[in-house]
Amino acid sequence: MRGKAVVEQVLRCYPTWWRARFEQEVRSVAEDLLAEGRSPLGVCLNLLWGAVRTRTRATAMPRIYELWSVRTRISIAAATLPALLMAPLVLVAMGNSSPHSSAGRVIPPSLPLFGAGGANLLINSKRGFVAAPPLAPAVSIVNDAAFAILVLFLVTFVVLISGWGSLTGAIRRSATPHRRSVVLLAWAPVFSLLADLALIIAQDPERPTRYVGSRPVNGNPHAVLVLGTILSIVAALGWLVSILCVALAARRAEVAPSDLRYGRTVSLMVAGLLTLLLAAYLCWGIGLALQTHQAAHGNFTTLVNSRQDLWVPMVVILSGAVTLSTICASTARRSYRVISLITV
Amino acid sequence: MASKRLGRTQDATILVLTSLSSGPKHGYAIIKDIEAMSGVSFGPGTLYGVLARLEEEGLIETMAAEGPRRPYRITATGATALRQRLEANVAIAQIGLKRLGAFGA
Repeated sequence: MRGKAVVEQVLRCYPTWWRARFEQEVRSVAEDLLAEGRSPLGVCLNLLWGAVRTRTRATAMPRIYELWSVRTRISIAAATLPALLMAPLVLVAMGNSSPHSSAGRVIPPSLPLFGAGGANLLINSKRGFVAAPPLAPAVSIVNDAAFAILVLFLVTFVVLISGWGSLTGAIRRSATPHRRSVVLLAWAPVFSLLADLALIIAQDPERPTRYVGSRPVNGNPHAVLVLGTILSIVAALGWLVSILCVALAARRAEVAPSDLRYGRTVSLMVAGLLTLLLAAYLCWGIGLALQTHQAAHGNFTTLVNSRQDLWVPMVVILSGAVTLSTICASTARRSYRVISLITV
Repeated sequence: MASKRLGRTQDATILVLTSLSSGPKHGYAIIKDIEAMSGVSFGPGTLYGVLARLEEEGLIETMAAEGPRRPYRITATGATALRQRLEANVAIAQIGLKRLGAFGA
């Protein structure tokens, strides 16, 4: 009896079109299997796996524009949003790098992204300023990878903005039910940015500008601290809520095939950029490890990064995001191909 | 143990088409027939994934439903595809067996 109830719940995991066609039959087969003594857990897990495959492969999904349009839109959103989540995280996880030598404190405390090899590094020692040991050869890998990550971040940002612009434009042109609320959902990232901006502006007049010793004589440091905390919370929450809202808007917006084509292109580009970002981040981490190894065998100046410990977990998370994005972009491409056939 | 391992890798498509080649059957009957024929136990999720794909490809078709059960039958295209596949498998099997004979297994 309990097995039947679980089967009933698992059948709800299948898409509506599949349930309309197969649910009754599958329920009957599952009940027959349970009656003959098949393990309820085995039957349910098999059905659950079937539901996952049906949703991902869409085998036998009727050639109806609405169904394939929803599938394409969800795939585009699922391929694109990991980049929105991951790109800023990678930048945060890269932290700051500063040159380090066993001979003493290195000046200047940071290296330029361009021409780091030619930087005039000095060491502040008891004998005054002396030339620092040369940079470890692998420092160039670290710097080049950091530069590549920055460029990829900017390109991804431009592609995402272009995709978002296309989405909002498509919603405005569409006959989506409750269009105004869908437009509001799509504009969530802008509202979130405006809230961040308002908090930064509110923080500014409270910031102390004159000090006696280390004590501020004007402004309100306590208010700055409180507003700074609120800003961090609003920025993080706003970012996550924005991702969710854009995903919802993409799900609900009934857009034209031409807009879906652009969305598909954006999702493919984002998946590619995210893959390159992973490659650059891998090089960055490997470069950091390599220069430490080189410094252990020679007198070199190396780069020390405050967040190097985050490298392994970030690689794991980023690999997951790349996999998801690539699979979904490929699904969007396949789904759009079906749409092209339907709309011919 | 070795035969069991090979059994798991058998192509679900061939098994379902072979089952339907003896006449129309509904889902549960297909599962029982495959079990008797090959020892492979299909779950409902796996079976209906295969049935949906074969129907989409035009290799099988549905018949009028009998209550909650809907029988499936193999189409002429499905029968041709199955024949070609089985003949290819027979050729591979014969070569394999010949080579194993030379190996002394």
